[in-house]
Amino acid sequence: MTDEQLIADMKNRNRNALKVVYKDYREEFFRFAHRYDTQQSYLEDIFQDAILALYENAQNGKLDTLKSSVKTYLFSIGKFMLFKTFRDTKEFVTDEDFIFDQREEAVFTEIMEDQEPTEKQLMLVANFKKLGEKCRQILELFYLQGLKIEEIMAVQGYENKNVVKSQKSRCLKSLKDLIQQ
Amino acid sequence: MDKEELINGYFENSLTSAQLQELERLYSTDLDFAQQLDYEKELRKALKSNERNEIRNMFNELQPIKQANEKKKSLVVQLRPWMMAASIALLVGICSWLLLFNKPNQSPEELYKIHFAPYENVVHPIERGVEIEDLKTRAFTAYENEEFEKALVLFKELNTKSTDSYLQFYEAIVLMQLEKHEEAIPLLENYIAVNGELKERAQWYLSLSYLKTKQLDKSKSLLMQLTRQDGFKSKEASNLLKELN
Repeated sequence: MTDEQLIADMKNRNRNALKVVYKDYREEFFRFAHRYDTQQSYLEDIFQDAILALYENAQNGKLDTLKSSVKTYLFSIGKFMLFKTFRDTKEFVTDEDFIFDQREEAVFTEIMEDQEPTEKQLMLVANFKKLGEKCRQILELFYLQGLKIEEIMAVQGYENKNVVKSQKSRCLKSLKDLIQQ
Repeated sequence: MDKEELINGYFENSLTSAQLQELERLYSTDLDFAQQLDYEKELRKALKSNERNEIRNMFNELQPIKQANEKKKSLVVQLRPWMMAASIALLVGICSWLLLFNKPNQSPEELYKIHFAPYENVVHPIERGVEIEDLKTRAFTAYENEEFEKALVLFKELNTKSTDSYLQFYEAIVLMQLEKHEEAIPLLENYIAVNGELKERAQWYLSLSYLKTKQLDKSKSLLMQLTRQDGFKSKEASNLLKELN
């Protein structure tokens, strides 16, 4: 699989792409991370978090103009996370001189500090799954995939922005009603 | 830009700094607006957290080494009691086969070998490092060191000089060790006749000597006596008796 294909798949929230990344790079990542003399038990978590960060930043469009390979980007995230966990990010310099922007770093931190979902969040998700296909699609495109209203209009073939806006608004209200039932 | 567009713009990350200021102003003054923004933020968080968990679970299923190890471990735990039970069963099987079915093949010779062990020196304990002077000490030292030829010479000499009857007993044991049972038997018979302190022991060794010299009836009657006395070697005597019958 080429990097372009991989990035496109991740942007489309195709989880098979993540499986490929996991299987292809796990062993090498563990060897690479060992240099920073880390306990083995943390490496699995850090590796998984790094792929999640890669995935979310791909959706945020951060990989659209990527000059290095996906692998180099992934390993740099891993290194960043290793430093954040065990050392000091001020020391952090990757071999390729990656400079992550604020938004990218915010994603890393958010993923690393990810807490167990709250009861409210679990309830939201449970009711979200009861929504119709169309509603789930538009809300996932907007909140998860980070598409703009205009982009959703184009991807889903809506007539104009206002249709998307009112559709999204109706779906949010349906969800609210489900919760209040 | 209406309130809905402001909120959408916030999630699209497309607000100008003036629009962001407006958003903050509305958030602190307009309750409905604040609730709507919070609701959508919470929904995004919930959806993301759910997706991350699903992906982490997917990765955990892909984890090769961890899974293999866990499987191995649980298999070992499950197998261990079974393996123990199986090996005990096998052991019991082999033992009972040897005891029950092999019995007719076991000659008095073999039974003697199984049961005979020289009686330990209890009358003249040797303290190491003490200078060996007297004859008894030398005799028992040789006996304990399993130098039976040497011990026999010394006990024979002792028996001509001393009246201590137990010396006969030990001489008999040495003779048995040297396969001279015919010579051992009268010594043991004599020792038992004089009611020596180690009489029960002597009976046991005499019964073994009878066994060795194929005087089975004499051997059995002594073993029966030992079994009844319920003392030294009575259990072994009873077992041996069963094997002989």
